[in-house]
Amino acid sequence: MNLYEFEGKNIFKQFGIAVPRSVLLRRDDVVAKYNELGIKEVVVKAQVLSGKRGKNSGILFASSADEAKIAVEKIFTSNIRGQYVAAVLMEEKLDIAQEHYLSITYDTAKRQPVLVYSESGGMDIEDVSDDKIKKVYLDIRKEKIESDIPFANELYQCFLQSDARVVEINPLVKLSSGEFVAADSKIAIDEDAFFRHKDWNFEPRTMLGRLPTERELEVKKIDEGENYYRGTAGKYIEMDGDIAVLFSGGGASIANMDALIKVGLQPANYTEYSGNPPREKVAQLAKIVLSKPGLRGLWIAGGVANFTDIAATFQGIIDALDEVKPTYPIVIRRAGPNEEEGKRLMEECAKRNNLNLKIFGKEIAMGATATALLDMINHQ
Amino acid sequence: MSILINKNTKVLVQGITGKEGQKAAASMCEYGTQVVAGVRPGKGGEVVEGVPVFNSVAEALDSHPDISTTTIYVPPFAAKSAILEAIENNIPIINTIVERIPIQDTAYCLAAAREKNIRLIGPSSLGYISPGEARVGVVGGPKVLADQVFQPGSIGVISRSGGMTNELSWQIRRAGLGQSSAVHVGGDLLMGTTYADLLKLFEKDEQTKAVVIFGEHGGSYEFEIVDLINKKEFTKPLAVYVGGKFAKILPEGMNIGHAGAIVGRGQSAEEKEQALKSVGVLIAETYEDLVSKIKPHA
Repeated sequence: MNLYEFEGKNIFKQFGIAVPRSVLLRRDDVVAKYNELGIKEVVVKAQVLSGKRGKNSGILFASSADEAKIAVEKIFTSNIRGQYVAAVLMEEKLDIAQEHYLSITYDTAKRQPVLVYSESGGMDIEDVSDDKIKKVYLDIRKEKIESDIPFANELYQCFLQSDARVVEINPLVKLSSGEFVAADSKIAIDEDAFFRHKDWNFEPRTMLGRLPTERELEVKKIDEGENYYRGTAGKYIEMDGDIAVLFSGGGASIANMDALIKVGLQPANYTEYSGNPPREKVAQLAKIVLSKPGLRGLWIAGGVANFTDIAATFQGIIDALDEVKPTYPIVIRRAGPNEEEGKRLMEECAKRNNLNLKIFGKEIAMGATATALLDMINHQ
Repeated sequence: MSILINKNTKVLVQGITGKEGQKAAASMCEYGTQVVAGVRPGKGGEVVEGVPVFNSVAEALDSHPDISTTTIYVPPFAAKSAILEAIENNIPIINTIVERIPIQDTAYCLAAAREKNIRLIGPSSLGYISPGEARVGVVGGPKVLADQVFQPGSIGVISRSGGMTNELSWQIRRAGLGQSSAVHVGGDLLMGTTYADLLKLFEKDEQTKAVVIFGEHGGSYEFEIVDLINKKEFTKPLAVYVGGKFAKILPEGMNIGHAGAIVGRGQSAEEKEQALKSVGVLIAETYEDLVSKIKPHA
């Protein structure tokens, strides 16, 4: 999960990384907050999850309470690459001498953390030539690192103890006084480590930078609490298309999304359940997937399962179909343990609800059934 | 022949008394794998699926010094210590089925394993199967179904996805072919055993004439394949599918910061496909195409 700048800076502070003095504004009184900060020259920064806000009017400067008010309003009302502006961070304007770059992330090729440092940081870091970038590979079993690079060990502590996938300071500002300050923060935490971070209590967000939809929030609850270890059925990303999908298995879902778009249909969502989830979890998920208005089709597809009980997971889908009784075409492709029983139950459900439904097993490949759905939609 | 496992491999199951561990032990025994011992602290002396349970890996090895593979079925928060216990006891191959292990724990275990030249397959790996020989984990499901999908043959299978290991193996069978070995490497960002590691094994395996890979975007593992082929360490026909092209239709912002872009310079999906093509790898547009591309070479 990606953190907002202000959240990242709060974490930086805990690890001894200097950050500018600041106040956080929700949609509250700008003048009061400006006075609270008590600094004349300020920078106001949109709190969004994607980068490039500097080039998209997400960072403005102000020299008075009135100017600050105008700048904050501008940020809350402007469109910063379609991102949700969660808050505005008002900070002291720094007396910048140099902009450096510092980050730690995992290098998948070496399968270990790598610290990246450059004295040429700032907005165009991706264009800086390799010879101006220093990479230091880290042994993750070491508790600390020794380095002349400013805040190197502090950032490493932050990386380890916050279970981060990425920690980045860009720019790492060198002030005219010679001190270093983290002028920005980018942290992505590893949500799989939640069990050792009881303190993780971040406001809702999506990986797309917009606010989660009601359906997304509802689906997320399916895997929470005691249900966490009983298969996965809590993945739902709402999209703009009109074909609802219920895929089984991560790999199959990726291949199927590609296949759906290849035949010219547009997904209404991305959803995947796996690991043999119980009937109730699948039913909850399926009901939410089918609740989206304006659907023109439903594609339920998965590979030849290893151990997922096809009849039991189908029962969950049937619970939803019995309730919603969709009139649009439905295509199913699935195989694995208990497939005959699953098929029989599904056919009975189609019959009693008068569904326009075709069901396939492993005699046909997954991708080909996307074409079958397209044909049914075209012949309606 | 086969890679990683054969009829004589002696297998240990860590976490054998849990629901998943028990299921895995049963599924391996059913397929003919020699599961000789299980581990569960505090439950030494019990028997699960006909397999004796020990309190620790060391105790299991005292009774069965010929164990060469362990497979780990514990909750994510216990995974690191279970894997490290296997590493400390020098078991050469560790299959980790555990999903959702914190990436930091995986990185730690990989660093420890690398030092001792121990092979970790996974995390999030359902295991691997050498048809007609044996399997580790639950790839293929119940034997009656596994036998419909798997038969000894000439195609090596590598997949980032457990379900797709089975699905892809089925497409191979449907085309009238069989598999030499099928390996689920797991879908985590950090892979214990990579495509390139397995291709080296498939290169040496006489039964394997060609290999197919179901990949997912993310990571730089495809470039290792390019290096391997350039160095002539893998010379057999290879077809690759890299899933996740749809991600392009999602708005930007899924990646954070520049760290990934700097570390992974020159590694976009297009650059990956281009690099693979340039060394003669067959690129499949869909997963079904993997089989049509590789069939002439089987």
